[in-house]
Amino acid sequence: MSNPDSLPDVTPLKSKPDPEHPKPFNTDDIDEEEEEDGDENDVEYDDEDAKGEVFGEPNRLKPQSREAQFRSEKLKMDSLLQRMQSGPVSVRVHDVIIKGNTKTKDHVIEAETEVLNNVGSMQELLKASQIVNLRLQALEIFDSVKITLDSGPPELPGTANVIIEVVETASPLSGQIGAYTKAEARSSTVEGSLKYKNFFGYGDLWDGSLAYGYDHSAELSAGVFLPRFKGLVTPVTARAYLLSQDWLKFSSYKERSMGLSLGLFSTPYHDLAYNLAWRTLTDPSQMSSRSIRRQLGHNLLSSLKYTFKFDRRNSTMRPTRGYAFVSTTQIGGLTPDSRSLRFLRQEFDLRYVVPLGFYHAALNFGVSGGVVFPWGNGFSSRPSSLPERFFLGGNISPVCALGGPTALWGFKTRGLGPTEPKRQVNKENAEPSGVDFLGGDLAVTALADLSFDLPFRWFREKGIHAHVFACAGNVAKLTENEYRNISVQKFVESLRSSVGVGLVVPTSLFRMEKFWTLYWSLAQAKTGVWHASPVASEHFGSYIGCQQNFGI
Amino acid sequence: MEQVVGEREAEEFTVVARKPYFDLPTACPICLPLFIYLKLAHFPFRLSFNSIFPDSDQIPYVESGTYVAYNNENSGVVECLKKDGIVDLDSEFQSAPDWVSMQAMINSWLADALTYELWVGTDGRSAYKIYYSDLSWPIGKVLFLKQVYSVKQRLGITKDNAEHREDEIYRRAKIAYGALSTKLGEQNFLFDDRPSSLDATFLGYVLVTLHALPDTSVLRSKLLEHDNIVRYAEKLKTELIESGSSSSGPQFRSVPSSSTPRKGSSNWSSKPKSKPKREKTEEEKTFKRRAKYFLAAQLLAVLLFLSVMGGYDSGDMELDDEDEGISFN
Repeated sequence: MSNPDSLPDVTPLKSKPDPEHPKPFNTDDIDEEEEEDGDENDVEYDDEDAKGEVFGEPNRLKPQSREAQFRSEKLKMDSLLQRMQSGPVSVRVHDVIIKGNTKTKDHVIEAETEVLNNVGSMQELLKASQIVNLRLQALEIFDSVKITLDSGPPELPGTANVIIEVVETASPLSGQIGAYTKAEARSSTVEGSLKYKNFFGYGDLWDGSLAYGYDHSAELSAGVFLPRFKGLVTPVTARAYLLSQDWLKFSSYKERSMGLSLGLFSTPYHDLAYNLAWRTLTDPSQMSSRSIRRQLGHNLLSSLKYTFKFDRRNSTMRPTRGYAFVSTTQIGGLTPDSRSLRFLRQEFDLRYVVPLGFYHAALNFGVSGGVVFPWGNGFSSRPSSLPERFFLGGNISPVCALGGPTALWGFKTRGLGPTEPKRQVNKENAEPSGVDFLGGDLAVTALADLSFDLPFRWFREKGIHAHVFACAGNVAKLTENEYRNISVQKFVESLRSSVGVGLVVPTSLFRMEKFWTLYWSLAQAKTGVWHASPVASEHFGSYIGCQQNFGI
Repeated sequence: MEQVVGEREAEEFTVVARKPYFDLPTACPICLPLFIYLKLAHFPFRLSFNSIFPDSDQIPYVESGTYVAYNNENSGVVECLKKDGIVDLDSEFQSAPDWVSMQAMINSWLADALTYELWVGTDGRSAYKIYYSDLSWPIGKVLFLKQVYSVKQRLGITKDNAEHREDEIYRRAKIAYGALSTKLGEQNFLFDDRPSSLDATFLGYVLVTLHALPDTSVLRSKLLEHDNIVRYAEKLKTELIESGSSSSGPQFRSVPSSSTPRKGSSNWSSKPKSKPKREKTEEEKTFKRRAKYFLAAQLLAVLLFLSVMGGYDSGDMELDDEDEGISFN
């Protein structure tokens, strides 16, 4: 029996519905239907198309003309909406019925519907239904997801049944091809990937990808994504990879890694991952400096990485308000074997954006820092591992990059920090072979950026804006007992800074920026006199990418 | 004897080699000859190690400031140092008629024999300790298996011809040892009693064969047949490696103090030094114990005989212990 206090009355209402009144639950995928037949009388939350009965009792339905039936259902819907707008309509979920899954296990779908168990009102039920719909679609294993709300058993008034109908994907195999270019980093890549969905019916997503870059850099990887693994709360990912990175131009070494990474825990705020890799550093050019030569060889990397991320900015491309904080902690050497790579790495990044209220202007402030140190016997006299060090510089915008000290305007890739002369091959040639950028164990950066719209309507419509920026950063070595020689004063003395102006052209795929900088360093000369040497330079930074998806 | 360029004397030279093992400053048969060469030349240098790159053909290398001489350039580090005018021991020997043949024999037959014995002949146990003991186990194991396969490929060893190739390698090594033993004679060095790069290479191979290979090694046993080579190696090891630091080479012409006995080949046998002493002591004890029992039994027998046969004719019986042939030497 229906409870007239909680369910809409089947009798027509006196007041007519207001067509201009906003409908809060206008979604194609959430329907209401009669209890007897679920496929012909789907009702959408729409004034014009209201059909069927809303939580009606089948015993009370009498054969009526179609038009009268529609009018009756419409009145019920209006009544329900009116009651919902005036206050909560108490209802709870009695049962969740899943239909349409032939391969997918029930528990995979049920795990995404847990939010329905806690609803107490119609409003919450509709909101929760939408969340469940989005979560199920996010699994990427269904072509469509339809959620229907129906009345519960007659003996349990105030209850509702949720019917979830899924259509599993007809073509589980899909592919993606993309081309990406990064200027000055020698990492233009062409990437292709294949994805197979729901092979075992656990919502598992298998993918294999191949990326080939300029100058023989390449990555081959295969991975699996499990939304629910052995009762774990968050999804689990596993990825095996073969990676080759070319740093010959900047630091005279190539890095090859072969490993396995496991995503153990992942929420919007927390991420925990384990990485096991065999890493090899080589120098095929045989031009490396002494410090780089000492690092060449094989290493076993077994590390756990925890990231805490809190980003409340309104945009990552052009934030105009909000704040963000990221902290990453990584510990290496998690094996019984003391010969594996042992290190501790901590980095953080803090951003704060102040809106100024004119020309869409905003002040971006940011400070980031990081430190890496080996651990184990004789740690203070051992050097840190080269790939784990901090390298500052490059064409990544510091405003967009969030995650430790990496980017600085006006400095080339890895261009800031300690250097060492490369090997000199021909002693008759007086010109040096160049230097290797060694990176550092301690890095700090700070930035201040004022972005604003240009006073031309065309630019504003395209999103093109300008910005004035200032940034500073420094990298220092701590290992091999160098920490005894470091001091705050020395660190500040060797700080590198830059100021400049830039023009940003954002597009749907990428952000392109052209900027002009002045950079200098404040150094104390041997005579003890401070001096500054400004240098003007022009850098063009861009990230260009395009991709094409295809189904198989 | 040696030539050192003046402009490089002020910069310290560092030799980067593989790790020390088996009482050798570096146990790698490619790195040890370079070490010995610089010692023979009295060339000051520091020794540093890289134990995480066993499959690199760049090691060993010599560096000083921005100057580096890699092993895989210009036929090796020694040739690089000669060509760059840093140190050259061979300026007077390269015109010798048998220099080239000796060099070819050492760098091919002996080198191949030592490579085979290290990686295949002795199951690679010594090689694993020299090259992979500082690497994590999974990496070391994979690299080791890869290197064993590579050695077999280079030496042309297959399942079908393994025995034949092994016999051939050992036969050539035996011929080489014989020739070098004849050439060396009782001299201090191979050529004109003065050190050369061939001495450094040959000595390096001999020391690795004697110290790094196990007692069951066939190559080692063939080497031990030539006493003069073993004496030559032992003497130079004492002079160059054990008596001085790496920064200043010892005077190899001076004779060590008499506190260091030179017993020659009697120190080397198919078993390590400690084992013969232990066995001899046990054998001796056992022999003495058995001898006592035998004597006691003999004495008892004689006494019994005398007591049973007493009173008849004691002059006919002679206690002739000497005829038993017992000697207590």
